[in-house]
Amino acid sequence: MSMKIYLLPSDNLLSFVTQLSKTGSVFYPALNGSAAHMVRFNKEGTFEPVFQKIRSAENIKHFLFPSRDIVAKFPNDVRPKTEKQFIFGVKNCDLRGVEVYDRVFLKSEPIDPAYKQSRESTVLISADCPDPEDCCFCNLVGLHPYCTGASDINMTPVTRGYICEAFTKTGEQLLEKHADLFTDCSKEDQKEREKIHGAADRKLNEINKKVFKDTLSDKVANADRKAQHDARKNCVECHACLHACPTCYCFLLSDYTKGKEYERVRTWDACYYAAYARVGGGANPRSELDQRFWNRFQCKFDFFKQYEGLYACSGCGRCYRGCSAKIDIREILWQL
Amino acid sequence: MAAVNPYYAIPSKISKIIKETPTITTFILDGKPFEFEAGQFAELTVPGVGEAPFTPSSSPYDDVLEFTIMKVGRVTSALFELKEGDMLGVRGPFGKPYPLSKFKGKEVFIVGGGVGFAPLRSLFLALLHDLKDYKKIYVRYGARTPDDIVYKHLIPEWEKIDRVDMHFTVDVGDNTWKGRVGVVTVLLDDIPVDIKTSPSFVCGPPIMMKFVTQRLVEAGFQHDNIFLSMESNMSCGIGKCNHCRVGKFYICKDGPVLTWEDVKHIEEPFV
Repeated sequence: MSMKIYLLPSDNLLSFVTQLSKTGSVFYPALNGSAAHMVRFNKEGTFEPVFQKIRSAENIKHFLFPSRDIVAKFPNDVRPKTEKQFIFGVKNCDLRGVEVYDRVFLKSEPIDPAYKQSRESTVLISADCPDPEDCCFCNLVGLHPYCTGASDINMTPVTRGYICEAFTKTGEQLLEKHADLFTDCSKEDQKEREKIHGAADRKLNEINKKVFKDTLSDKVANADRKAQHDARKNCVECHACLHACPTCYCFLLSDYTKGKEYERVRTWDACYYAAYARVGGGANPRSELDQRFWNRFQCKFDFFKQYEGLYACSGCGRCYRGCSAKIDIREILWQL
Repeated sequence: MAAVNPYYAIPSKISKIIKETPTITTFILDGKPFEFEAGQFAELTVPGVGEAPFTPSSSPYDDVLEFTIMKVGRVTSALFELKEGDMLGVRGPFGKPYPLSKFKGKEVFIVGGGVGFAPLRSLFLALLHDLKDYKKIYVRYGARTPDDIVYKHLIPEWEKIDRVDMHFTVDVGDNTWKGRVGVVTVLLDDIPVDIKTSPSFVCGPPIMMKFVTQRLVEAGFQHDNIFLSMESNMSCGIGKCNHCRVGKFYICKDGPVLTWEDVKHIEEPFV
């Protein structure tokens, strides 16, 4: 349930962002070519945020669980301080990613200190996704194209400005702190938001007419070798799908010496790499691409669902957009 | 107080190195950075090189921590370059211990192959510590050649213990070898325990695991009484990085020991 709901008049957005930038970095989506990309706010530069487009090309993982992060230092384990960051325009699909990382890194023991630190210094200011595109399928994995509670604040662009709804204490405090920039959100504003939400839902349902079967997890678990092979036959092993995915969280630890000290560095990893599961002695339980390709489906639609009760898939469609062979994960899942 | 960093390895000095075989060495650490229970494992860091997972070979009741390790990959090769007095990093314990309390009053059947005897030694020593609680401990161990047998200096003492029954075999014998010749399954033709109630513990190379498990299942061991040490690529050791997953199990969290009941539905559990 909403804790606080206000309207930020369009003209006040820049002031709001400028004020936030005094206490941390602000990132927002801006158009570059045909896609939205996350850029850092610079008060000397231009500010042309794009909230109407679908999710940015970069996934939320970059901000919470960067591709390279020092997780321990030896012999003295000193963690660098993390700067506060405000991320504007996060879409609900990316918030599924945050949900997945929270469950893995915060809610299951032991807690991951590096993730905890970046999560606690991050304020997520989501934005509705009023105009889903052909790659989008968040509706198939249990999401709406607008946030209903997983961010700190959600923004809906309406005629008079931006409806800002706080979902957390952090979000609420932030709105209160900058109350002078906000006005009341009227019934008309809220009606407009309902219309936007309804239209977005309808468009998404139009794009994805077929739903995933309730038995999807079992279907994935029991897919035969032929189905697994057919699913991957066009894959050229570029691994773009995994690195672009906001719910993939595999990582690898490696140590690097720095003089007399050394650091333990966490980098993103991906289960499609041939050496991913290979053991020291050389044996490899997933030496075949068929096995590695299907492992991704099992991980997202079977195991994570079994353990956590939700699909580790956001429906963001980055895997499809980024795929060199244009493999559509939906098609594979629908055919099971 | 700052939260404990699960990625931080506690610096530990190597106090003694024992060369067991041409390719297997035991590293004894100075002191015990943490307590563990038999069956749990640790991540060992060679400073600046990296980490690999190992199950201690020492008793959980010892004051020191020991690891018996075979040189096979990048980290173990660097480890074998280290000398007594050099530093290692250790973090752990990880994984689930053996449910030893379930086996009180029972016969215990242990089958090891090659360096796979290392984690089983930790189990064996834990059982010896409370020997009165168990009816009898059977150990069956196979190595490639007599030279490849680990703990040669300890075995004669163990063999003397009442209620311990040990048998050995080698794939290829030599002039000095008076014992059995053949792979470890030759020691399983006659299994002298109460198969219906006894737990069995297996650790060894994948091919050995496969055939020993097959033999134990045929012999009639309960599937949830066949305890298998699973080998898997591990990075984090704490159920987050995803590397070690086999089927629905995280070997680092649900294992490293799983039962045949757990893994029998997996297409190829021993790779």
